[in-house]
Amino acid sequence: MTGLTLKKRILIVEDDGHIAEGLKLNLTLKGYDVMIAPDGPAGLREWREWKPDLIVLDIMLPRIDGLSVLRSIRLHDERIPILILSVKSEPEYRVKGFSYGVDDYLSKPFNLEEFLLRVERLLTRVAWNGHAKKPEEDLVQEYHVYTFGGNTIDFETYTAHCRQGTLTLTEQEVTLLKLFIANRGKPLSRSELLEIGWGYTGTTSTRTVDNFVMRLRRYFEDDPHSPVFFRSLRSVGYVFDHDLH
Amino acid sequence: MNRFKWFYHPVFIFAFSIIALAASLCLYVYWYIGVSAGLTSVIQKYNLDPSQFFEINTWVVILVLSILVGIILIGVFVIFIYNQKTWQLYRLQRNFINNFTHELKTPVTSLKLYLETFAHHDLSREDQIKYVRYMIHDVERLLNNINRILNLARIESGNYWKDFVEMDLVGTVRQFYQNNADLFRNCEVKIHNPVGKPLYYPINPLLFDMFLMNVMTNAVNYNESDHPRVDVRFIPQKKGIHIRFEDNGVGIEKSEIKKIFRIFYQVGNQDNMTATGGGLGLYLVQQIARIHRGRVTAESEGKGKGSVFALTLPRRVQVGG
Repeated sequence: MTGLTLKKRILIVEDDGHIAEGLKLNLTLKGYDVMIAPDGPAGLREWREWKPDLIVLDIMLPRIDGLSVLRSIRLHDERIPILILSVKSEPEYRVKGFSYGVDDYLSKPFNLEEFLLRVERLLTRVAWNGHAKKPEEDLVQEYHVYTFGGNTIDFETYTAHCRQGTLTLTEQEVTLLKLFIANRGKPLSRSELLEIGWGYTGTTSTRTVDNFVMRLRRYFEDDPHSPVFFRSLRSVGYVFDHDLH
Repeated sequence: MNRFKWFYHPVFIFAFSIIALAASLCLYVYWYIGVSAGLTSVIQKYNLDPSQFFEINTWVVILVLSILVGIILIGVFVIFIYNQKTWQLYRLQRNFINNFTHELKTPVTSLKLYLETFAHHDLSREDQIKYVRYMIHDVERLLNNINRILNLARIESGNYWKDFVEMDLVGTVRQFYQNNADLFRNCEVKIHNPVGKPLYYPINPLLFDMFLMNVMTNAVNYNESDHPRVDVRFIPQKKGIHIRFEDNGVGIEKSEIKKIFRIFYQVGNQDNMTATGGGLGLYLVQQIARIHRGRVTAESEGKGKGSVFALTLPRRVQVGG
């Protein structure tokens, strides 16, 4: 077992410095390697670059909220254990969290021992399942090929067969497509698309989103000017939908 | 059940009652004209004296009816507006409670976390001191939050009209900065007084301190700049004293500038959970300015471009009494 020799990495996404440091202290004492991200974008960045084994996530975060961070991560990685640690204890938030794919939910203030045991348990589960760090495999199983209308998207090879013929998709196009497919029939606002699909907020223009959707329409719509799949919703954003075959 | 929700919506009820009212007015008029036409034909048939029946002109009746309906309409409208306002306040209050719970629970979480850590681990003396400091800071955070609520209650009850003292404003600000230097550790604070001599003004020291605390800590807390700074400028004017608190913080969106002083108002979006602040600070600031017979305004070039909070105090007036 190589997992024993290597320290497990835990990423804490938490804006309150004291809580973050307290968690880090305890997890470090338990023998984990810990990193702190103070806001949503930093959390996403560290998740991508540092590749943690588990993420402890707060919901109320500056810039990008925790639930969007969660959804963004789940587009790429279904397996990494994520534990939400939030002041919000109401069932509606728990349900929301679990529906977006969180593994565990603890409300603040929490019991330290319980928290540590839950973290340990989550990591043990991953160890049972063997490989913790092959997230791409899940996606391949899940979406290997996706078909709608006359279009086929291959998420393994990043290619699409559509009315324009066969073309290679960019990383960003694939992410956006996954986001649309995961939310088929549900309206997505421009800021949601930007936060979850790109992972940043605020000053960046939502025009970026419009441009990308235009591009997807050119690829996949029979008539890009009167779209069937990627429809605009006035004052909301976009919705992706199609009939099941 | 959800399908019938619109039926109870105040806007629908309002619109419906207006339509009903307008319809009844039309019907009144229609019937009146019908009846008087019938009456006229009866009069003509039997050759009666019309003046016996038509002492009041038809149009007067219609006019009176219209005025009465108009009054009812205005009444309905006023009730509608009040209802909307109450709802708005209720929603704001609920938001506020949600958010304030966050402000209270966060330091408690931190305290509990460190206390439990101490219970489980033997930490070095150095670490202990470091974390005890955190805990003291958390207790202060809790106290501040509690005080904000209490201060609000006290200001609302209007018990602050006494206790005004003639004080040097520049000195007060400087003193405030020195007393709370740890709050501005990473922030450059400069006080500019072009006159160079003390500016005396009757203030309530406790309230003025609260004012400074809110305005100055906002400048630091809502600041993402690498080198946060606050410039306090005193500008004596003919009509009084103008104090500007300029920061290089996150700034304020144009559409938010007026709203930020409202009670329970929070910048950001409650739905996407990026809402920040307790929604009390700037409301207190505005109330304190009012108690000093002054005015506070916010200026900002937009998001990310810093903001200015300006307090204008009128030329020496007898405050209090």
